[in-house]
Amino acid sequence: MSTTTIPSGRTVLSSLLRADFTTQWRNRKSVVLILLIPIVILISWKGLAFKLGGAFVLSNCITIGLIAIGLMGYSNAVARDREKGIFQRLRVAPLTAWSIMASRLTVQLAMILLLTAAVFIAGFYADHISLSPAGYAVGFAMAFVGGSVYLGLGQAVVGLIKNAETVSAVTRLVYFAFIMVGMLADLGALGNTIGNAAKWSPYGTVKMILANGMQPGTWNQHSSIALAVTVGYALVFSGLGIKWFRWSSR
Amino acid sequence: MLYPTNTAVLQVEGLHVNYGSFRAVVNVSFDVQVGEIFGLLGPNGAGKTSTLGAVEGLLHPQSGKIVVAGYNVQENPLLARANLGVQLQATNFQPELTVSEILQLYAGIYGVAITKEKLQAILADIQLEDAGKKRFGQLSGGQQQRVSLVIATIHHPPLILLDEPTTGLDPQSRRQLWERMETLRAHNHAILLTTHSMEEAEAVCDRIAIIDHGQIIAIDRPQTLVDKHRNDPEVIAVSRKGRITLEDVFIGLTGRTVRS
Repeated sequence: MSTTTIPSGRTVLSSLLRADFTTQWRNRKSVVLILLIPIVILISWKGLAFKLGGAFVLSNCITIGLIAIGLMGYSNAVARDREKGIFQRLRVAPLTAWSIMASRLTVQLAMILLLTAAVFIAGFYADHISLSPAGYAVGFAMAFVGGSVYLGLGQAVVGLIKNAETVSAVTRLVYFAFIMVGMLADLGALGNTIGNAAKWSPYGTVKMILANGMQPGTWNQHSSIALAVTVGYALVFSGLGIKWFRWSSR
Repeated sequence: MLYPTNTAVLQVEGLHVNYGSFRAVVNVSFDVQVGEIFGLLGPNGAGKTSTLGAVEGLLHPQSGKIVVAGYNVQENPLLARANLGVQLQATNFQPELTVSEILQLYAGIYGVAITKEKLQAILADIQLEDAGKKRFGQLSGGQQQRVSLVIATIHHPPLILLDEPTTGLDPQSRRQLWERMETLRAHNHAILLTTHSMEEAEAVCDRIAIIDHGQIIAIDRPQTLVDKHRNDPEVIAVSRKGRITLEDVFIGLTGRTVRS
């Protein structure tokens, strides 16, 4: 009998990534749903693209998709795996907690990349919206920053709530609340006070950095403040989510 | 590194685990030797799972020392866990993954190189040659337990923890699992087993510890425990078959009260 050594971090991470990407692929119906909602909105807003601007429409659709990834996809998958004891099984192996979560988050970053690319492509073909190369590049970067806010929020929800079904119900509620309040406030339907609050909410700041990022020429002090607030939201939500998170639902 | 065969693979010394003001494990000490099947028996809520949780590194004890294959669980958690094979009570793996994919995942996690041929040989060894492409959830309870055990031993760890592995299995599957445990013992693996089945403890365990209210109240060979306690009035009072069994000793020592 001989003692066993710890495998390299690279080997462990590649095994985890392969399993997590396979799991995501097998759940492709939910992936399609996450992508479909922003694309449908994008196509249905074809007329508005000329009135409100291409960046406005694209940023709204990407924000909606980012909320779905963080709140509906990530948080529900983590809550389910925790309830089924999948995390506990992984944690009795020679793995660090960060490697388990890094693998999960990498899959979500790939989802953000896929969503943003899908919205840009659909925007180009369906609504004839085209951006400068810099606009596309900054758009992707801002999507990652914005996505981290909702992944952090999803983490906070699974940190605060242990039951997977309650997590699912709460995230659906928050998802619709964000979209409805955000979009209606954006269109000026909720008055100045709520409009201003929505503008500096996670929905508003993410949308703002996306819209202004896609038109780098329009980036101003306001955009920089929105970026700082967005990063602040991401740090606060992630911090609380990590602090509150328990690996077991028992 | 070769593991010496004359030392304990697991040493637990003065273990204390609290949940708030509740003392789940109180000053528990025991060891498991190379090539030994050690049973941890106790009523519900006696402290078995908490003790196992501390050995696995899933919960942090208030005090005490746990050493796995020479590695202190608190000081070298990854090395200690690398030398552990674990079959949890609930055998849950990602339901979207196939049996082959789960085996490949855990082989990678434990740093075991696995070819297609080796994978097929592992599946054949557990009579699941055709189940490689099946999802884990599609397997029967007995098949799931076999997969779980093979994953727990995929890296040939010196110590294997089995948490109630035969719960819900039919007699054939249970016997098969016992034989697998005995084969592992023959290959010098040490096994720490928790079970509610006295029949199982008597059949496979070299030594057992009875834990109640967080404390070990008896530790010895199953037959020695029966011999030691056969004249205890509490044991005689609960005897049902005209002869004293391990179950009589267990109930005699832990009481008749049903635990939640």
